[in-house]
Amino acid sequence: MTWYETKGRDSDVFVSSRIRLARNLNDYPFEGRLDDASRREIINKVRSAFEGDGEYRFVDFSALPENERIAAAEEHKVSPEFARGTAARAAIESSDGAVSVMILEEDHVRIQSILPGKSLKEAYDRAASVDGKLDSKLNIAYDDKLGYLTHCPTNLGTGMRASVMMFLPGTVAAGGIRTLANQLSKIGLTVRGMSGEGSAADGCLFQISNQVTLGVTEEETISKLSDVTGKIAEQERAFRKKLAEKDGERLNDRVMRAYGTLMYATMIDTKELFSLYADVRLGVCLGLIEGIGTEKLDTILIRSMPAMLMRDHGGNMTPAERDHARAENVRRLLSGASRED
Amino acid sequence: MLCERCKKNEATVFYRESVNGKERSLSLCADCAEKARKKGELEDGFMKNGFFGGGFFDDPFADADKLFGSLFGVKSLPGAKTEKVKKCSLCGATFRDLMNEGKAGCPECYRTFAEEFAPTISRIHGTTSHVGGAPSAFRRNREQKEKIHTLEAELKSAVKEENYERAAQLRDELRSLRGESEAR
Repeated sequence: MTWYETKGRDSDVFVSSRIRLARNLNDYPFEGRLDDASRREIINKVRSAFEGDGEYRFVDFSALPENERIAAAEEHKVSPEFARGTAARAAIESSDGAVSVMILEEDHVRIQSILPGKSLKEAYDRAASVDGKLDSKLNIAYDDKLGYLTHCPTNLGTGMRASVMMFLPGTVAAGGIRTLANQLSKIGLTVRGMSGEGSAADGCLFQISNQVTLGVTEEETISKLSDVTGKIAEQERAFRKKLAEKDGERLNDRVMRAYGTLMYATMIDTKELFSLYADVRLGVCLGLIEGIGTEKLDTILIRSMPAMLMRDHGGNMTPAERDHARAENVRRLLSGASRED
Repeated sequence: MLCERCKKNEATVFYRESVNGKERSLSLCADCAEKARKKGELEDGFMKNGFFGGGFFDDPFADADKLFGSLFGVKSLPGAKTEKVKKCSLCGATFRDLMNEGKAGCPECYRTFAEEFAPTISRIHGTTSHVGGAPSAFRRNREQKEKIHTLEAELKSAVKEENYERAAQLRDELRSLRGESEAR
């Protein structure tokens, strides 16, 4: 079960929690300065740290077809940069899909753990245990003063990026995203929307993460991000309540129209899906639609991304073919029918 | 690329914003960017703490690169004009190479160019000292150093109190601890 298929804590606002740790091996240049032989050496060294542990699976990432690589990024298992690269790189995945170790992303190693809902601490514990596994077997680049030595100086120190993906339709409707972004930037946090527009076209999904990695401990970073996202969630719920009180009839109509479209449309493009997802997810969270969980909608969204559709289809498709397949996929997932795979 | 305002200096700060679908972009030198920021033409927070208005979502590490690039560009290079160019012993990079790439060449670069890196690191993070976790070998080392420190203080007070038996015991303990930490 991948993160999006499981219902997480406070899933009305918290979609997922993610930790990434940047680590490098001593005695090797950073990623852009490696020849192919050194890349292979690093991959083998990191791989050997997991040898004999049945919980982890090695994936020769650069040997995968492009659709599969991009699909892994769409599932948020690896970063888009990692998926796009063509030089030798590999990944190690935990059997439950929560942890993926990217070998030769910007840093030699990026340990990622992603869990559903509000679960930053648990995600950190998972990543830290993999980190401990690596550091007992490998010579990790570290300096007493600067902490973990990373390719880009912006990640020095803990080398940790903690982020929470939040569903904020109420805040979007109240026009509060820009203010939120400004406030967060003042306390060392950043907010990113799916496409940068900060609107329903992004599915009202926003990723909030820490910006500073030096001079703060991992625990401080996580506790600050947890506190702040907790406050954002409270505010979001208040905005939703206000929205429902002010114009409940219209809100209900919008939600139901979106639901109808999801159930009966025969062609849906990605942009429309994001907007329908946001309306229906809000409806589910407000109790206007019963019988579906937020995890089902998150699954529908992720499994209907372009490369995911093409991966499941087994080959490239034109945009029109994808829109067809997407609508079909949505209908099938909504009706609860299980996939053949 | 020249700064689009003064048309004299090299543009090192690239600003892009999207407000209600309207895109606006500026390519400025450090001076003109600072003037523009003071006039409020750039989004509040830009350059001060590195929140880039556009460029959203996919990777939290992504805009850190841009931030570093622009911060680096603004910085004048210490020792840039000296004839003998310092090179990193592991990867062979000069600090100018790193400046062009916007990133370090290898872990050793941070030691080789510690002085050159310090202002940039301090500008990005507001500090240059790590306080978080460490690999287990360093953690043990750190704990050992702390222990040595405590024992040394105890030894001092034992000598002062003329408690020679305790002092001898502490000296032995310290000797074995130091032996271990030197072997590391």
